[in-house]
Amino acid sequence: MTTDELERLLAQQPVAVLHRLARGRVHRHFRAGKRRLIELLLQHSSQNLAGLESDLQTLIIDRQGQSQLPPGATRTAHRVPSPPQKRSPNRGGEPETSEPAVSLTAWLEGLGVPPPQPFVPDPWQSEALAALDDTDVVVSVPTGSGKTYVAVEAARRAMEDNRTVIYTSPLKALSNTKFTEFSKIFGSDKVGILTGDRQENGQAPLLIMTTEILRNLLYDAASGEIDVRLDTLGLVILDESQYIADPERGVVWEETIIFCPSQAKLLLLSASIGNPQDIADWLTSIRPTASRLVRHSKRTVPLRAGYLHPNGKLVPLFKTAAIPSGHPNHLHPETKRLFHEYEDETMPSGRSRR
Amino acid sequence: MPPSIHPVDLITALRQKHLTPAIVFLTSRRACDEAMESFDVADIVLPPARQEVIAAALDRVIANYPSVAEHPLIPTVRRIGVAAHHAGHLPSWKIAIEELMRQGCLDAVFATTTLAAGVDFPARTVVITQSSIRKARDFTDLTIGEVQQIAGRAGRRGKDQVGFAVITPSPYIDLGVLTKGLTGHPESIDSQFTITYPMVLNLLKAHPHEQIHAILAKSFAQFQLNQRAELLERKLDTLHVQMEPFGPRVCTDWITQWQTFDQARRQRPHRLQVKQQESPELTARFHFMTPGRVVGLTRGRGIVLRQYRSKGQRNPMISVLRPDGAVTECPAATVAEVFDRVFECDETSAFPWCSAASFDELHYQLTELPTRLPTLPIIVPKVSESLPDAIVQSLGDFPCPTCSSRPACQKDVAVASRLRQEQHRHTKSIQALRASLWHRFQERVEVLQTFGYLTPSAHLTDDGEWARLIRIDHSLLITELIRAEAFAGADPALLTGVMASIAHDDDRPGAFPRISTGLSSLLGQVRKLAESLSPYEDPPLLRADIAAVAERWIADPTLTWIGLCRLTTMAEGDIYRLLARTLEFLSQIHTLHATHPGLADSAAKAIALIRRGVLEELP
Ligand SMILES: Nc1ncnc2c1ncn2[C@@H]1O[C@H](COP(=O)(O)OP(=O)(O)O)[C@@H](O)[C@H]1O
Ligand SMILES: [Mg+2]
Repeated sequence: MTTDELERLLAQQPVAVLHRLARGRVHRHFRAGKRRLIELLLQHSSQNLAGLESDLQTLIIDRQGQSQLPPGATRTAHRVPSPPQKRSPNRGGEPETSEPAVSLTAWLEGLGVPPPQPFVPDPWQSEALAALDDTDVVVSVPTGSGKTYVAVEAARRAMEDNRTVIYTSPLKALSNTKFTEFSKIFGSDKVGILTGDRQENGQAPLLIMTTEILRNLLYDAASGEIDVRLDTLGLVILDESQYIADPERGVVWEETIIFCPSQAKLLLLSASIGNPQDIADWLTSIRPTASRLVRHSKRTVPLRAGYLHPNGKLVPLFKTAAIPSGHPNHLHPETKRLFHEYEDETMPSGRSRR
Repeated sequence: MPPSIHPVDLITALRQKHLTPAIVFLTSRRACDEAMESFDVADIVLPPARQEVIAAALDRVIANYPSVAEHPLIPTVRRIGVAAHHAGHLPSWKIAIEELMRQGCLDAVFATTTLAAGVDFPARTVVITQSSIRKARDFTDLTIGEVQQIAGRAGRRGKDQVGFAVITPSPYIDLGVLTKGLTGHPESIDSQFTITYPMVLNLLKAHPHEQIHAILAKSFAQFQLNQRAELLERKLDTLHVQMEPFGPRVCTDWITQWQTFDQARRQRPHRLQVKQQESPELTARFHFMTPGRVVGLTRGRGIVLRQYRSKGQRNPMISVLRPDGAVTECPAATVAEVFDRVFECDETSAFPWCSAASFDELHYQLTELPTRLPTLPIIVPKVSESLPDAIVQSLGDFPCPTCSSRPACQKDVAVASRLRQEQHRHTKSIQALRASLWHRFQERVEVLQTFGYLTPSAHLTDDGEWARLIRIDHSLLITELIRAEAFAGADPALLTGVMASIAHDDDRPGAFPRISTGLSSLLGQVRKLAESLSPYEDPPLLRADIAAVAERWIADPTLTWIGLCRLTTMAEGDIYRLLARTLEFLSQIHTLHATHPGLADSAAKAIALIRRGVLEELP
């Protein structure tokens, strides 16, 4: 088999087979996409393409449920048996439900603008604001839920109390956007901004900054520099605080939280993360009062997932209109068919076979 | 079939199903730009009324950000209502597009996935075309959190009853990653705490050395390390209970006693069940052929999976993993070399003698081994007539042969020593988890002492006092440059050039203006210093071409933004970011005005010169 033929054969395999092949050949292969995986497989086996090929053949035959090895592939030594794999007729390994798959019309239903409604805070928003009266609060909710409302209301209350508020975001661009937004809400005399290259209205009661700048202010204060803003500091809002896990900059969030003055409340706003309780428990362990976690994972605007074939045909991605949480394999049969067709017809390098 | 849908067809399909406005996430800036080009000849123009709305909205933005007016994409935005939004653009352009999206004027924005986190505007629909993302020069699959962050932009509160995440395949896609991302729970996040030099200096400025331990203990890093330590402590408790039946017997430490006795006993040749001459060399070597060990065989290498003695002849044998993945049985005598290389091996009692994960890992390691490996120096005990005597003599010291507890000890010793080993292992790990941050801190302290920023008693020296104000990446290089007076007499342009080359961490190639000889020789000095510091701090890229771009902007105040952009192939957005980051570095230098007035003055001049044109326009 030529390298080209081998590449093509690899491309025809489901990703699971490629991962199986990659075991022991490619380091950390689970992080690679299909195309990259094929590249890596060919690269790492360039000295022994025959070995790769024969392993591939074995796996293909394995999948077809046959037990004999292909002729010529006799082995003297025993091989490791592949770990038992759950297999059921549908390739995802989940029982098919008997319900019929959703139609495109049903999937599109509800599309459009909702009737205007008076603004009523969501229960989680009120809960976060109420908790903030007594203690630090960690919010972990899906993107688009309305964390800004919590930030704005919390800032308003602290400012009414004659306290300084600091709001940080990880990106300068976001800080600038918030500066404009908050200036509209509170009036431009009430809002200032401090970033690495911009300083405006630095004595305002509501200060927007990047997290690095706040960390620096806290270090200066710790070493004895007097900063009245920190003396009257009542609230520190760290938006997008899932950035604490950023490989390069995450440490800045930790420093900021460790050195945040104890008289100021902390409000951590984060997108959905897997372990918000850990963050809340950590805060509890180092801050004067037990912190409160406010979390939910339900999106306010329901989300539907679709599949658009390169020929322009749109189909629902899953069998149900809503996203089937916990069931990645409940694919719509039409999507399954179209995507297989796509995989079959496109070469790994992206060139069409024809 | 085309490998992916044509942008014009995509927009047509979305419009037809009323799925606009949409954000289309593409793999690269290039892909976004090419998508824009494909609209040049498209005949899917908007009705005049909508074109007017866009034009009016654009005019309002341009009033605030004049540079937007010049943007080459404006005609496409007006005619078709689509735009590109990525890191290659100026912030003003991105602000304009975000504003248009917020007002609902556009049908689609083509953006790069790398920026998904920085895109703070929602849409009715997001279109996903890829399942992996470029991070640190390599593509990795999107995490569940990232997929949800991207999909989360779909569905605007108050404007949409439902949001749509539409996947359209490209050769880069693995559907499984995306379906898992859409249906799964986001991953847990982990601390990425590191101890930096400025952190050490600032901590020691504010707190005595002995308090630092307690401060580090407040980190999320330590919180998570403690969680792991507590897990091990619970295991240790269980082990403690399991060890109860093996408490003190006739001797208090009977386990060690027995192990030593057993060893001595085994070494007595006449105790071997089958009398058979095994060379002392082989015996010594066999001792090292433990699971995980790399050995050289007559043909190729292998990793030992288990050692045993053959039935009957009691020949020393090993099971070996070979590079082709096979497991073969070899007599230890056929082992040609025992290498000084052992891998972790999670042993099991049945074929293939280790766990599947271990097997894969070992197999991988075996194929990745360098061609040359050091062999293990093995000392072969000189067999002399006196040895048996010595052993017999040493046996005489053991009470075991006559001890009443002997049968019980013999029976229990295997289990007991395994448990004790585990106890030792866990205790060590717990100590390491509890103390690792402190050790890392101490390492940094020692470096800062060596360089003279800290006194031997860990107080800040005069240099430490100002150095703590430099709180950016590559702080050690910068403070060392200042101490070496590398910038003495350097004009603002040179200072800016050097700072830019330190600040810039992108290795994207391109064409750039020529560098001045002054800057070139200064950079040579910087490079030398950075190299000598490399054991203590990763050196920056220090690209001369990048330094030249920044130098030009300062050296020639009449140079316009367009003029600067023409000098290089860097994208506008990249030049902007380079200068903005250089500005941050310069403002840190400026904080040194009390101790280094000349340098701070030069930095202030540079800052004033950088801020012109689009760099001043910005919010
Ligand atoms: N209680 C609410 N009722 C209706 N709309 C809301 C409510 N809270 C927030 N919103 C709207 O939801 C949208 C998304 O809010 P935002 O704060 O940007 O989300 P997040 O920061 O959580 O991603 C905004 O347009 C906001 O006006
Ligand atoms: Mg937000």
